Amino acid sequence: MRTLGIDIGSLTTKAVVLGDEGIVTSVVIMSGDEAEENARLAMEQALGRAGMGQGDELCIVTTGTGGKSVGFSQQQKATTTCLARGARFLLPTTRMVIEMGAETTTVLRLNERGRVSDSAGQDKCAAGTGIFLQQMAKLMQMPLEEMSALSSRAKGRASITNTCAVFAESEVISHVHRDPPTPKEEIIAGIYYSVVSRIMTLCKRVGIEKDVAVVGGVALNTGLVAVLEKELGFEVLVPDAPQIVSALGAAILARESIEKALSR
Amino acid sequence: MTSGKPSGSGLKTIIRASRLITRMNQARPEASPSEGMYYTLLADYYSRLLNAPETGDFIAAHTVFFPAEIMYAMDILPMHTETTTWMIALFSGEAAEILSAGAELGLASEICTPHRGLAGAFVVGTLPRPDVMLWSNLVCDNTAKSGELLMEINQCPGFFIDHPFHDSEEEMVYLVKELEDMVRFLEEHSGRKMDWDRLGEVVAETDKQMQLYREINELRKAVPTPFHSQGFLQLLSVDYLFAGRPEATAYLETLRQELADAVEEGRGAVANERFRLMSLFVPPMYLMGFLERISQEYGAVSVTEPFFTYWGEGRLDPAKPLESVARKAYMLPEVQMYGPLDERQLSRVAKLAQDYKVDGAIYYADVGCRHTCAAIKIFKDVLNEVDVPVLTLDCDVVDPTITSEEEVREKLEGFFELLEDR
Amino acid sequence: MTDTPQENSTGLPTLERFREFNSTFPHAKEVLDFKEQGGKVFGWLCTYVPEEIIHAAGVLPIRITGYREEVELDDGTAYLYVNSCSFSRSCFQLGLRGEYDFLDGVVGGSTCDGARRLFDVWRQYIGTPFHHVLNVPRKYTERAHQLYLDQVMKFKQHLEEFLGSAITDEALRGSIDLYNESRALLRELYELRKLDEPPISGAETLEVLVASFHMPKELFNQWLRSLLDELSESNIRHRSRARLMITGSVMENPEFIRTIEGEGALVVADELCTSTRYWSDPVVLDGSTSPLEAVSRRYLNNFPCARMYPSDERFDRIADLIKEFRVDGVVSEIIRYCVPYAHDLPLLTHRLTGQGIPVLALDVEYGTSGSGQIKTRVQAFLEMLEAKKR
Repeated sequence: MRTLGIDIGSLTTKAVVLGDEGIVTSVVIMSGDEAEENARLAMEQALGRAGMGQGDELCIVTTGTGGKSVGFSQQQKATTTCLARGARFLLPTTRMVIEMGAETTTVLRLNERGRVSDSAGQDKCAAGTGIFLQQMAKLMQMPLEEMSALSSRAKGRASITNTCAVFAESEVISHVHRDPPTPKEEIIAGIYYSVVSRIMTLCKRVGIEKDVAVVGGVALNTGLVAVLEKELGFEVLVPDAPQIVSALGAAILARESIEKALSR
Repeated sequence: MTSGKPSGSGLKTIIRASRLITRMNQARPEASPSEGMYYTLLADYYSRLLNAPETGDFIAAHTVFFPAEIMYAMDILPMHTETTTWMIALFSGEAAEILSAGAELGLASEICTPHRGLAGAFVVGTLPRPDVMLWSNLVCDNTAKSGELLMEINQCPGFFIDHPFHDSEEEMVYLVKELEDMVRFLEEHSGRKMDWDRLGEVVAETDKQMQLYREINELRKAVPTPFHSQGFLQLLSVDYLFAGRPEATAYLETLRQELADAVEEGRGAVANERFRLMSLFVPPMYLMGFLERISQEYGAVSVTEPFFTYWGEGRLDPAKPLESVARKAYMLPEVQMYGPLDERQLSRVAKLAQDYKVDGAIYYADVGCRHTCAAIKIFKDVLNEVDVPVLTLDCDVVDPTITSEEEVREKLEGFFELLEDR
Repeated sequence: MTDTPQENSTGLPTLERFREFNSTFPHAKEVLDFKEQGGKVFGWLCTYVPEEIIHAAGVLPIRITGYREEVELDDGTAYLYVNSCSFSRSCFQLGLRGEYDFLDGVVGGSTCDGARRLFDVWRQYIGTPFHHVLNVPRKYTERAHQLYLDQVMKFKQHLEEFLGSAITDEALRGSIDLYNESRALLRELYELRKLDEPPISGAETLEVLVASFHMPKELFNQWLRSLLDELSESNIRHRSRARLMITGSVMENPEFIRTIEGEGALVVADELCTSTRYWSDPVVLDGSTSPLEAVSRRYLNNFPCARMYPSDERFDRIADLIKEFRVDGVVSEIIRYCVPYAHDLPLLTHRLTGQGIPVLALDVEYGTSGSGQIKTRVQAFLEMLEAKKR
């Protein structure tokens, strides 16, 4: 039995085909303006790679922003539920999920059964998100990967004290143009520390418990994850393809709904 | 900084909307009589205010949780500033104009939108100019500090009630004396004398109303709950605006009977009650209709609101009218969260969750209401201990740009799924 | 430009001592020694808590404050939420992280939302053995004084019960004398700033103030006397482009004032919870009232916090300060998200600009030392003040 999960995000749309043997295939495409269009494109690519035809009967669950406007899905599920399912599937000991996305950060607490017991999110403010980090990379005039690599070399940490992303930007600029300029790795360390502090606040709101899974696009930023681990005081778990966790969760929920229907 | 030509245009909006809703309700067979009565109450209240210049009525603008009973007993027209601002924002959808007028006065974003809005509303003339400005420190610094600027804007005299922190006997006496001073102030400025017998009658009416609130709350314990999800907003408006008025008693009696009938017949407010919710603080006004729809769609109903519909213990003695008014101030639901948030307050909330068989709680984290948000963690932990999950919704009670229906829907869906999964 | 030597050496040995003392915050040796010898230490928050009562009970009162720098307040924010004032979050975080574990008691007033909730959350999650909140009226009426006196008496009773010993009038008189002496000495210090070229800067004054409420007053008075001696002998003269007054809520980081003074101004006066509003009025013991009443009266009447009504009381006293210290311009610093002071600002600004005193309004995080933005704005403000003089 195969199911399809689609996560429509502001920056990227992800699709996962789940089979009895596990993940059959997954795709990540850039999001356009139309949610339905994004979902359709992602689905086509995923099915293509899975060697499945468009006509094959398939249970589809969608999630993410704008997920409700997808006509061809059987069900729309909240991101938090999908994240929990996806993370537990990949990392069965997960009790906390930190999702770092392009525009939002979400922290979930899971109970023993892997169900969401509490959540805290941050979606009002740009600071501490993927887009913020992209902005910072532009200011530092280097790609994100280079920023991440450099951060591990920092001996000290520049103080980026402003809570607001807009002002943090000007602080970074002043560090770059200082005479003598603040070492790049220290600025980056300061930026990462600032981002991680926001995440820590969310974590403390729900209470910290191991094991912690870090997912979402920003989880690929090893430098940032290292700073997070330092603040937590322990290592976190990052799945191989952290951006597809929500879509995977959606596919799992699709399977659950079929199983439930069959058991009646 | 003086107010512009007061047109009271905002009031007209509320009156129009109230009359429209009343007509619409009359056309619906399933609409309850109490709904009609509520909107009639609103329309009448605001019509009186609007016609004050002609009738020569004396308008006393006041802030939230204020003893309007005193004004009614003196035949003075009270104008509840925060609620009126909320309603104007709700019915006209023009929150932006009054908020920016408030910002132009130099009021920082520290000042919550109801207060920034009402200052702006006075400036642009959406609210009519009052004859006096009355305010207290209930229930936060925003309210306590709002009066002087409003006096300045409206070029009118004002009186500040200093409401003490604890409910000790000495503090109660202090409050009574503050009220006495206010009566003298009102007599001096309005030319009307306080009729103490009348105040006794008004207090007796308030006492009746309090009992009705308690009975209504008892009825809401039923499974399924009989009162619709956003109905509590009407309950609190009635207390804010019409305390001590016989028309309000009639509304509450009608509502009580409707709910009693529904409970007897096992009729719930929603067809399929799936989630019984506790509401902490107040949802954004402009989302009222949306939240009602969500309620129907998901079978989720707000059954208890610790800060807004739960009344402290005690009765009011009409023979001691002023003391009763002071006592009532300590029984008001919202005042109980003024503080301190001690074991008494926290266990009360936990008990309510259990008595009402609450599945989950929604904490409306109004970005401008600092002292409410500062209590999120403490209440969340208390509720988690009795196995009630809490969803925190960032929003603003008046400003619709802070969050959107999509965002709220997404979060609520996630929360309902969490509750389902348990 | 000032004539002072480099930052690290002021030529004032006692100032160096104060500075070193401040660097040990919050675990000052003198405080910990006091505990070691069996003494109890209480933390108090805000200027409406009658310190003399605590002192008369033989307990060491020290002020609860937050970090001396801008730090990430993830704990404070998690417990008090993002929109609570940064001072309350900063204080709470220190407390939650155990930095205030040496306190035997905490005392506060129902002064503002931030303070109220700080105490609610403190009680729940930190739980210091003695916890007391006084109701502080917002008016100055005789009745308000009676109520506050009643609150002070209740506080005294609670304290006596906790300690198992009575607070005598004699002890109270002794404490009053001691605290009045501090106030008189601080007044002497401030008098020096009225000079055309004061020997002490605004930043340095704040360093002294910050130490004052974190150490035993006996010791503080001793040190301050030495400092005053040193200042009378000193050749230091601060010249400046403009004489400024800082006004606002609570500030404890002298670096912030240093940033402003670094642009060539001199902060000759300050109206803060942690400066003038703290020490300004003495307790008047003239025999007409009991010492307890005298203390109570002093604390309610003291230089007003923005929470008090009517605001004119505070504005009038600010106007007096401006006149006394011959202030050219006012810098308002309001921490995020302080409501009472934010409310006062439009009315205060209106009044000051009406009297020809320009106001620079800065919105800062508690603990800030002043970022590049602040420097730019101060520069522009000073240029404007100089242009005005010409």
